[in-house]
Amino acid sequence: MLHEDVVCPFCACLCDDLKVETDNGTIVKVDNACDLGNHKFLRDDNHRLKEPIRRTPSGWTSATLQHAIDRTVEILLGADRPLLYGWSGTHGEAQSIGVHMAEVLGGVIDSTTSVCHGPSILAIQEVGHPGCTLGQVKNRADLVVYWGANPIEAHPRHMSRYTTYTDGFFLDRAFKERKVIVVDIRRTQTAEVADEFILIKKGGDYAVLSALRAIVRGKSDMIPATVAGVTKEQLLRIAEMCKKAKFGAFFFGMGITQTQGKYKNIRNAIELVDELNRHTKFTLTPMRGHYNVYGFNEVCTWMTGYPYAVDFCRGMAFYNPGETSAVDILTRKECDACLVVASDPAAHFPKDAVRHLGEIPTVQIDPYPNTTTAFCELQIPVAVTGIDAQGTSYRMDGVPIRVKSILNRGYPTDTDILGEIYRRIKEAKRV
Amino acid sequence: MRVILDVKPRKNPFLPVEAECLVPKNFVDEREPRDLSVWVGNKERRLEEVVTLTREGTATSPEDVELVLRGDTSRFKRVGEYMEAGRITIEGDIGMHCGNLMKGGMIVIHGNADSWLAREMVGGTVRCNGDAHHYCASGYRGEKRGMRGGEVEVMGNAGDFTAEYLTGGSVTIHGNSGDLTGVEMAGGTLIVHGDCSRVCANMTGGTGYVYGMVHHMIPTFRFRETAIIGPEKVKMSVFEGDIANRGKGTLFIKVYKYPL
Amino acid sequence: MSELLIRHACVVDPVNRISGEIMDLAVRDGRIVESVSDRAEVIDAQGFLTMAGGIDSHTHICGTKVNFGRYMSPEDMRAGRTLKKGQMHSTSGYSVPTTYGNSYRYATMGYTAVLEGAMAPLEARHTHEEFMATPLQDTMANVLFDGNWPVMEAVRDRDVKRVAAIVAWVLTAVKGFAIKITNPGGTEAWGWGKNVTCIRDPVPYFEVTPAEIIETLIRANEILRLPHSVHLHCNNLGTPGNYSCTIGSMDVAPDLNKERQSLYVTHVQFHSYGGTSWKDINSKAHVVADAVNRKPHIVIDMGQMMFGKTTTMTADGPMEFNLYKLHHNKWSNHDVELETGSGIIPVYYSRKSIVNSVMWAIGLELALLIKNPEQCLLATDNPNGSPFVKYPEIIALLMSNPYRQAEIATLPPETESRISLPAIDRELDWNEIAMMTRAGQGRALGLRKLGRGHLGLGAIADIAIYPLSIGAIDPSKEYTRVIEALRLTRYTIKNGKVIARDGEILSNRNKTTIWVRPKIPEQHRMDHDPDFIRNFERYYTVRMSNYPVQEAYVPESTCIETEAVW
Repeated sequence: MLHEDVVCPFCACLCDDLKVETDNGTIVKVDNACDLGNHKFLRDDNHRLKEPIRRTPSGWTSATLQHAIDRTVEILLGADRPLLYGWSGTHGEAQSIGVHMAEVLGGVIDSTTSVCHGPSILAIQEVGHPGCTLGQVKNRADLVVYWGANPIEAHPRHMSRYTTYTDGFFLDRAFKERKVIVVDIRRTQTAEVADEFILIKKGGDYAVLSALRAIVRGKSDMIPATVAGVTKEQLLRIAEMCKKAKFGAFFFGMGITQTQGKYKNIRNAIELVDELNRHTKFTLTPMRGHYNVYGFNEVCTWMTGYPYAVDFCRGMAFYNPGETSAVDILTRKECDACLVVASDPAAHFPKDAVRHLGEIPTVQIDPYPNTTTAFCELQIPVAVTGIDAQGTSYRMDGVPIRVKSILNRGYPTDTDILGEIYRRIKEAKRV
Repeated sequence: MRVILDVKPRKNPFLPVEAECLVPKNFVDEREPRDLSVWVGNKERRLEEVVTLTREGTATSPEDVELVLRGDTSRFKRVGEYMEAGRITIEGDIGMHCGNLMKGGMIVIHGNADSWLAREMVGGTVRCNGDAHHYCASGYRGEKRGMRGGEVEVMGNAGDFTAEYLTGGSVTIHGNSGDLTGVEMAGGTLIVHGDCSRVCANMTGGTGYVYGMVHHMIPTFRFRETAIIGPEKVKMSVFEGDIANRGKGTLFIKVYKYPL
Repeated sequence: MSELLIRHACVVDPVNRISGEIMDLAVRDGRIVESVSDRAEVIDAQGFLTMAGGIDSHTHICGTKVNFGRYMSPEDMRAGRTLKKGQMHSTSGYSVPTTYGNSYRYATMGYTAVLEGAMAPLEARHTHEEFMATPLQDTMANVLFDGNWPVMEAVRDRDVKRVAAIVAWVLTAVKGFAIKITNPGGTEAWGWGKNVTCIRDPVPYFEVTPAEIIETLIRANEILRLPHSVHLHCNNLGTPGNYSCTIGSMDVAPDLNKERQSLYVTHVQFHSYGGTSWKDINSKAHVVADAVNRKPHIVIDMGQMMFGKTTTMTADGPMEFNLYKLHHNKWSNHDVELETGSGIIPVYYSRKSIVNSVMWAIGLELALLIKNPEQCLLATDNPNGSPFVKYPEIIALLMSNPYRQAEIATLPPETESRISLPAIDRELDWNEIAMMTRAGQGRALGLRKLGRGHLGLGAIADIAIYPLSIGAIDPSKEYTRVIEALRLTRYTIKNGKVIARDGEILSNRNKTTIWVRPKIPEQHRMDHDPDFIRNFERYYTVRMSNYPVQEAYVPESTCIETEAVW
C-alpha cells in the first residue's frame, strides 16, 4: 500500500512529503526521505524490543505490561524527587501527560532541550526571537547564514526544502540569486557549498558577533585587525553582505549553543539580527534536532509557563536551568528515581550524570534498546510515532504537523502507557 | 540572640532542602520555629526534623537575631531569602540561592557558596569567605535588572556569569572570576582582584574594575585613556562600551588580551 | 437529565428587557426552561446580580504567538503562580497566563465564552491544542487573512466569489470561526521589513490596497453568511494621527447585514490618536465615536489600556518592531508564510507618561461617547491593553464619574488638555454594562440566536452570579465594591453545571469549540481548483493534505454550517 504525504519523524525539518510503501505489515520502500529518514523507516523492524523487559540479578527477563506499569507507578510514587526526562521523540499528546504526571508527583520534568537548544531558549528569554516560518525563507531569502550548523549532515534536506536549492515565489532562479555564508571552526561539508566561509577560532563566536554588531551600527574603529582568527576585512565584507540583502535568514546549531558562553552566543546572534532589522529584513531560526523537541517546549509552556526544566516539588512550576535541568540534577545526585521517555540520555550525558542513573531506580519507555537500557531496571517498548503511532509534532519553526501512523504492529502508544501510569498515580494520590 | 541550627544527618544527603524559612525574623518569637517547614524534594518536613535548634538569649526584633547554620548545609537552598534584618552565619558550605532577593541584614559564609548567591539582592551585605559558584550576585531569567543594591564580597574565586545584569550595589571578588563576569551589566560597581574572562560583555552602564588579567577581551570596547587608580596607584586602561550594545559603561582593566 | 433551579436571582438581561428583576431561573440539560421538577438542585442567588456568562470577543489566549509570549517571559510567568489544589492544576503567568491560568481566571470572573483574536491558518493546530487545554470556556478563533496570498490575488482580480471560495476552504480546513484582518496588507509588506501607511497604500508586489482587501472580504463574508462579520485591526495601530485612517477604514465598509454589524473594528483605542508625534499626541475618540454613532453597521470594542506591566502581542509585525525601537525591550517576531505575521514585546504603561495617560482616557471616552452600548464592547485586547483580570476596574470606571475624576487627578497635568474625559459625566448602568460584556457580544458574533449572551427561554445556561445586590448600592459612589464583586462570582454556571464558586474551580472540563463550515457550490471549491492547488504545493512548506486540522483536535465541537448566497 502506498502512503503519501507521510511525515518523517526524525529531525525537526519535519518533511511531510514522504512516500512510503508498506506490504503486509512491513515498510518496503521510502521516497523523498534523506538517509536519516530512510534509516528510521526501513531499519525499524529489526530493532524493536518485543515486550517489556526487566532486570534481575541473573540478567534481563521479559515482563508483563501489567507488572511493568505496576513497578513504574511504585517507583514514581516512592520517590522524593523523581525526574521525568526525554520527551523529544514522542508526540505532543504523550508529552502533555508527562507534564501532568510531574505536577501530580511533585517532580521535575525536563527534555533533551537542556543539552541541545536550551541555550537558544535562554537567549530568547533575554532578548526575544526575531523569527518566521520556513516558507518565508524559501520564498524570499536572498542571503542564508549557517552559523555553527552543518545541515548537509544533520538536517540533510534543509537546504533543498527551505533554503539554498529551493525555488521561491519571489526568486525565480533561487540557486543563482541566493548567497550562502557558513561560519564554523572547521571546513564542514556545508562550508564547501558556501559563497563565503568564515573559519573562526574555537570559542570566538561571541567576539565575532559583537564585532559584527558594532560594524552594522557603523562603528568599527575600535575593532582589532583580527578577531578570533577572522580578519577585520572579512568582517566588514560580511556585514555589508547582510545589510545589502533583501531578506536574510540566519540558522544556527550546536556550534554556538554548546560552546563556551552558550546562551550568550545565541543572544549575541539575536541582537545582531535585531540590529540588521533596522536596515533590512532578517530572521533567525534555531536548527532544532529531534523532530518533536520543540513540541515539548510548546506543550510544557502552555501548561506550566516554562519551556523545559520545570520543578514541581513545591506544588507549582519553578524554572531554573542549571538547577532544574536533568544533567545538573543527575550529576549532583539530586533525584532518587527517573523515568526516561523517547530519548537516550546515557548516550549523551556526562559520565557522572549517567552513573547516577544507574544508582537510582530508572525506567525507560522506548521502542528500541539503547545505551540507556543498560542503566535501567525496566524498559517498556511502545509504538514509534510516525510509523505505528500518530500525534502532533512541531517543526523547528513552530509549525505544527500531525504525524501519521501507517502500520499497526500491536504495540501500545506512549499515550496509552503514560495515560495508564498517570491514572494510577492520580488514584493513589486521591486526585 | 543566637540560634544555632545543627543539621541532622539525612538518609539521602544529596536531596536538596528548600529552606526559605531560615531568616532571622522567623526566630524572634520562641514559639515560631515549631511551625516552620522545609521541603526535602516534594516532602514537607518540620524544621526540627531536619535540624537541632539551640537558642542562646532572647530577641525583640530581627536585628537582634543571628542564625548560625552548622553541619552539612551544602544542599540547603534559599537560606536568607527576602531577608530584611539580622544576621546569618553559615559555618560550612551553603546551597543555591543563598540571600536571594535580600533587602537588609548580613550573611557570612565561612565555606563555599553554591550558585546564585545573593540573586536579585536589593540591600544588605553578603560575604563569602570561600568560593562562590556560578551566577553570583546575578538576576533571574528574563528580568531586565539583576542585583539592585547592597554589597557582595567573595574572598575566594567566583564562577561564570558573576554579577550578570548587575544594576546597582557593589560586587567584589578577591580571587579570580569566571567567564562573562559582569555580562549585561547596567549599573553598580564590579571589582575583580584576580583574573576573569570576557568581562562586562554587552555592558550598558556601571563601572567595572579588573586588577588581574582579562582573557578574551571583548573587541567592541573603545579604549579611552590610561589612568592611575586607587591608593595603590595601579596603572589601568580605561574603556567605554559595550559599543555593540550602545553601552555607556566604563571599564578599568590592568591587563587584557584580545582573542586574536 | 439534569435540572437546576436558581432562586432569587437579580437578573439583568437587556436582550429580554429584564432590568434587575428578582426572579427564578430554571435550567434543564444545559438550557434555560420555563420550569423544573422538584428534584432539581437548588441554588439561592440571594438577590445577587445575575447575568449571562461573559463573552470576550477579542482576547489573545491560545496559539503560536501567545505561547511565544509565554516562553520568552519567565519573569511574567513567575509573577502569577498559583498552587495546584485538588483537581485544579497549578498556574503561572501574570499577563500571559498558561491555558489553565486563563481558563480558571476567566471562569472565576464569570466568563464562559472567548474568541481568540488571531489564528494563522498554517498554525491553527496549535491554537486548537491550546483550546483543548482551556477547559472551562467555549472557544472560537479569528482566522487571519490580512496577508493571504491567494486572497490578495483574487482581490486584485476583483473576483469576490473567488475570495469567498478561498475563505470558505480555509475556515473549514482550520475549523475557524471568523475572518480576521490585522493591518491588512501591512503584514505582507512586513515580510520585506516594510509596512503600509494607510488604506490606499498599495501592498508591494501584490498591488492591492488595504481598502480593497477590507471591502472585498466584507462582501465575501456576507456571501458566505458567516455568523460574525469581518473583524478588523486597522492599519497604523499606535501611530499619532491614525484616527483618520480608522475613520477611512470604517467608511470603506458597506452595510450588508440586517441582523448585525457588517464590520467589527477591534481595540479602537489604539486607533484613535490625533497629533503628529508622541509630543503632541491627543485623543480623537470623540471624532471616532461620532463616526460610529452615525454608522449602525459598525461595532467596535474599546481596547482599553490600563496602567501597569503587560505584554503586547499582535499579528501586526511592523507595529511591534516600532515598539522595540522605542523601548528596546525584548522583541519577538514570527511571520507566517503566505498568510500573516506577528510580534510580541513586553511593555509598561505608566501613570507618569502623558502618552499612556491619553491612551487610558481614549478607551473610556469611546465607551462613554458611543450612545448605543451594543456598538462599543468591553475588551482590552488582552493582554495588549491590560490583562483581562482588570475588566472589573474598567466597568467601575464606566459606571462612576467620581472614580474617573479621582484617577484623572493622578495623571500628569498636561494630559487634561489633550483628552475630553474630564468633561464627560455619563455613567453607564447595569443594562449597558451587560450589553457591553455579554449581550452585545452575542449579537456581534452572530450567536445571540443560538442562545448566547442572554437568559431567555431556550438560551444556553451559561450564567454568572456576582455577590452584589445592585438595588442596595450606588455604583457611582461605591465603585470599590463593584470591583470586588465583579472579580469573583458567587457562582459561575456553564451548560447548567456549576463550574466555579467563590474562586474555587469545581469542574474539570465543560466546553465546546465553535467553528464554521460555509457551503459553496461544489464546482467552485478550492480543493478542486488547479491553480490554488498548484500554488499551494509550490509555495507553502507543508503539503495541502497535511494542512487541514483533523477531527482529533476538536473533541467537543459545535459546527455552524452556512449556505452561501452565490
